[in-house]
Amino acid sequence: MTAPGQVRTAPEPAGEDEAEAPRTPPGPPPRRVGWQKLTVLPAVLVAVLLATWLWFEQADLDALSRNALSGGQVSKALWQHIQLTAISTFFVLIIAIPLGILLTRPAFRRATPVAMAFANMGQATPAIGLLALLVIWLGIGRRAALIGIIVYAVLPVLSNTITGLKANDPTLLEAARGIGMSPVGVLTRVELPLAVPLILAGVRTALVLNVGTATLAVFGGGGGLGVLITTGITNQRMPVLVLGSVLTVVLALLVDWLASLAEVLLRPRGLQP
Amino acid sequence: MNFWEYLAGRHQQLLTDAYQHASAVFQCMAVATVLGVLIGVATYRSEWAGNLATTATATVLTVPALALIGLLIPVVGLGVAPTVIALTLYGLLPVVRNAIVGLRGVDPSLVDAATGIGMSRPARLLRIELPLAWPPILTGIRVATQMLMGIAAIAAYASGPGLGNVIFRGLASLGSANALNQVLAGTLGIIVLALLFDAAYVLVGRLTIPRGIRA
Repeated sequence: MTAPGQVRTAPEPAGEDEAEAPRTPPGPPPRRVGWQKLTVLPAVLVAVLLATWLWFEQADLDALSRNALSGGQVSKALWQHIQLTAISTFFVLIIAIPLGILLTRPAFRRATPVAMAFANMGQATPAIGLLALLVIWLGIGRRAALIGIIVYAVLPVLSNTITGLKANDPTLLEAARGIGMSPVGVLTRVELPLAVPLILAGVRTALVLNVGTATLAVFGGGGGLGVLITTGITNQRMPVLVLGSVLTVVLALLVDWLASLAEVLLRPRGLQP
Repeated sequence: MNFWEYLAGRHQQLLTDAYQHASAVFQCMAVATVLGVLIGVATYRSEWAGNLATTATATVLTVPALALIGLLIPVVGLGVAPTVIALTLYGLLPVVRNAIVGLRGVDPSLVDAATGIGMSRPARLLRIELPLAWPPILTGIRVATQMLMGIAAIAAYASGPGLGNVIFRGLASLGSANALNQVLAGTLGIIVLALLFDAAYVLVGRLTIPRGIRA
């Protein structure tokens, strides 16, 4: 959920990497964490889960549905999904953020437009196609699914990092150099602290993208909640389908909510809007 | 059979799929644009309503495509209906957000001047505010179209139309000689379509953005 005025932290990198994307007009400064932000979404999610549970209590499941949901398969799928998301997010961040920092150093600055063009091209690649190609190349299994999820999210986070580091006020960097800081000092003591909000936004983008792409891992034999959804569709069993979809939606919204809280709470005090 | 032989042998089927893919995305995007601009126009003046519209559409975007389609199937069944609804919903967010930001970014003195020369409220909206907000809205449409291209591919799993079917056929026949050809043809086809649409939007931008505000 996006707090008022925080347009640039929306879950998808939609338009943020476009030079002509409009700037948000400065709204009233949002409070650090309002009570609405803390309560509304969790309450809605609990209500949804409760409603699904009640519906399941009275729904009579046939053998096929019961088979698909029995033996801890639901919790296994949920756990696999969380693992896929966490592992892929970790790798996306350790690949994309250092690469973004590297590409904005003077020595590599000439490579930046190339990387950005590449990143924009990557946006046009369908996630399912990428995953399918990796499965053919690496064989079916969790590894192919994970690599697909990572590759799909690296480019948006990379272009976010580059855009953010470039947006740092050049006069501040100039001042830092002027008082005799070394390039490493400028990077670690000025540029990176200034870029913390941006890195947190990258974490959020990666998490939300990965929760979504992880539903496709089932097509590469990677498990996850997509298993329930595809089983429900192919076997025409609506309870299985609905349970898988509801759990995926709740997980995605929860992850986004946690990331948005982290974004507000971990931001350095000096950078509070 | 190599990739080119595959393309030559199946080009009729592939072209039909590509056409259906492009047409589904185009039609849903057209609906999403109209709805999105209307929502933007209706809400941008109020801080509260504008933020609500942005938050609501952002929430939809957080939901994974396969899960949204999964929730739509029990309601509307398989096939074209869940595809169209999902694509339109996902297409809304970038348009709504950029429409609100664009409309709010219009210089108030220009609107004042328009009022001063006696323009009515609809005239101000149609002749001053929307033309000035059009470049960001067009950017939103471009971003949304690229996203819909990939989502339409996933919708093929729910018997939706388009090139996703080619990819899923390849996935279903993993290990066969044609699996790679099918997946490659579907994926590259979608990338080509996305780039073609992008080029078309650049052209549309040159033709429709008023000369005075062109960058």
